[in-house]
Amino acid sequence: MTSDEALMLEFQGGSRAAFEELFARYREPLYGFFWRRLNNPERAEDLTQEAFLAVIRAASRYEPRALVRTYLYGIALKLLAAEQRKFSTHNKLGQCGPEPTTDGTPECVLWVRQALEKLDAPEREILMLREYEQLSYSDIAELLRIPVNTVRSRLFRSRLALKSYLGSAAKPNPALRANAGSRTQEDEACNEHE
Amino acid sequence: MSTNRHPIEQEELMAYLDGELPTDRATGALSHLEQCPECQALAADLRGVSQKLLTWEIESPEAGIPSEINAALGERLQKRATAKVSSPKLENRVMTSRWVWAVAFAIICVAVGLQLMLTGRNRNEGRSTAYPSMASIEQYLMPDRNGEIALARSAAPEAISSDAKILVLGRHGYEAAIEGKNGFVCVVERSWMSSFDSAEFWNPKMRGPVCFNPAAARSILPLTIKRTEMVLAGLSKAQMIDSIKIGFDKKELPAPEPGAMCYMMSRGGYLNDAVGHYVPHLMFYVPLTDKSSWGADLPDSPVSLNPQFQGAPEPITEFVIPVGKWSDGTAAPVM
Repeated sequence: MTSDEALMLEFQGGSRAAFEELFARYREPLYGFFWRRLNNPERAEDLTQEAFLAVIRAASRYEPRALVRTYLYGIALKLLAAEQRKFSTHNKLGQCGPEPTTDGTPECVLWVRQALEKLDAPEREILMLREYEQLSYSDIAELLRIPVNTVRSRLFRSRLALKSYLGSAAKPNPALRANAGSRTQEDEACNEHE
Repeated sequence: MSTNRHPIEQEELMAYLDGELPTDRATGALSHLEQCPECQALAADLRGVSQKLLTWEIESPEAGIPSEINAALGERLQKRATAKVSSPKLENRVMTSRWVWAVAFAIICVAVGLQLMLTGRNRNEGRSTAYPSMASIEQYLMPDRNGEIALARSAAPEAISSDAKILVLGRHGYEAAIEGKNGFVCVVERSWMSSFDSAEFWNPKMRGPVCFNPAAARSILPLTIKRTEMVLAGLSKAQMIDSIKIGFDKKELPAPEPGAMCYMMSRGGYLNDAVGHYVPHLMFYVPLTDKSSWGADLPDSPVSLNPQFQGAPEPITEFVIPVGKWSDGTAAPVM
């Protein structure tokens, strides 16, 4: 299998097929990255697209010093920060950001989402980069510009905190459930992971 | 959990579960974990958190490249193609100052040539001198026998390795540490199971946990045993290659049996300096063949060829297929 870095260099050299392969490899992971952080599939789709547009625009400047994966998540983090700044400004002006999507969401997923929201933002980001994006400690350290030991200690803290939140008798916030029906067939999916 | 009673810290245990510890520490962690109920409970908690997080799955986005990206891509490729064609204005300027360019080009050539010579020499030196010969036997042995047993077992899911026979490396070769019941044999291979031309053939850090299925235990494991015996007897690479060829010619070494395969799903292994722990994978052994017969290394193919044997000299082809989970059931990095 051709490495991501080789594909990126081929794309730099003018290969459309190389870009299409990179797109196929990373569209879903990037979409998942945005979806989980914004709880909004439409914005996730838009920002995934913007991430790839940024790759196209910056292709000539790419240097194979970092893994393509780290490079792409670096772009994604910048786009996410801009998006979050935008909504925080809107909120200050009295406008609301998009409502989190809950329709048809299994109970166990709502529970996970709520538990994640209770974590401090920097610890949550490290945990998500590790668990969902499967980045190594050093990749996370490079992306967030913090020492590897800090990644490790924060990750440990966040996992223990999350265990406690998930383990507590707390039920999902009924408000989040407002638009969802009672127990659905999606809930059955929770059990598959237990 | 105090470090007085535990040789590893809790954070280190977590790093082990994440495949983030170097092999020497990982082996220690694994060995301790096998014996410490308190650490097992913590490990179960940490794995439980990961599994709960994985319940949050995301539906796939719509297939196909969106039109905006297609347009930007077309524009970029078009610009790049255009940039390749020199403009007449630029060409005139270049023509009028050709001698300046010629001198500059000559200087660059000399500088780049010198740089390449130096880099090439350094690279070759690094390649040939990193592990030029066998290190002392102590560096290949694992002082903690239980650690080696645990590392060998970690190659396959517990349901397989718990009933497998376990071999550990001693000063005179592999020895049976635990007898098995299911025909599988688990072992931690050393660097000399790399291809003979590998720059890391003598890398003493290498630890490759493998669980062979019964067919591979009968037809592939003998190669591990033979290479190891020859290494420990002090044979040169050339002598080993000759001996293996003769072994196959005389049918003292078996051909791979149909269905021969192995599990390499340990997060505690260290396969070489280039890939470290690598990703969990399965390997399938067949008589020497071309990689195209399995579609290996083709675009999007999950199968790749491992050049470990491939007729040099063992007449065996080895295909690798990555899997998504480590042997303990936790998710592995994306390839």
